[in-house]
Amino acid sequence: MVFILGVNFHAQKLVKKALESFYALGPQTSARILAKYCIHPRAKMGSLQPKTVTALTAELSTMTIENDARKIIQDNIRRLRDMGAYRGRRHAMGLPVRGQRTRNQIQTARKLNKIERKG
Amino acid sequence: MQPTRCLLKRSVWKGPHIVPLPIVRPEPGKKVAPIRTQARSATILPSFVGLKFQVHNGKVYHDVTITEEMVGHKLGEFSPTRKPFIWGRK
Repeated sequence: MVFILGVNFHAQKLVKKALESFYALGPQTSARILAKYCIHPRAKMGSLQPKTVTALTAELSTMTIENDARKIIQDNIRRLRDMGAYRGRRHAMGLPVRGQRTRNQIQTARKLNKIERKG
Repeated sequence: MQPTRCLLKRSVWKGPHIVPLPIVRPEPGKKVAPIRTQARSATILPSFVGLKFQVHNGKVYHDVTITEEMVGHKLGEFSPTRKPFIWGRK
């Protein structure tokens, strides 16, 4: 078991996948972090040195991930809503924003397009 | 505002889509009638802030007061063209 940023990861989990489990941290950023700390791309969490783990935690705490990143997205949506733009209106209605058809297949928009966006 | 979104919108060499609008500078103490326009694709410029527009949506003219954060958007974004479907409404 390895702790990174208050989250417990199993020793068998890939370091790359563990990093990608944080919101707003994708394949590209995680690959860059691995390269920065000289970690093999297929390395498991169990093989990390304690020094590397603390360095990773320090690196992640300086980045805008998880709730900070969510807040940026929510602020952008709220700004559109407050000025009465079409995109903000569509977000408030939970409908597609970029001109897609709404007869069927709008599950993603129903799930994500909200003023207080979760995902 | 995301910088990439701004860049992907339109070629830089074209500049913003500027439409000649009959803009009158308000003299102090006088009321100016809102600018009635059908140019929905006109980009909102920083000089428009504080002005009142009436933007056509194909049927009626909607009143839009330009605020600072609307700069860079189009006039048509603030005048909805569709009525949401509600069952039983005439």
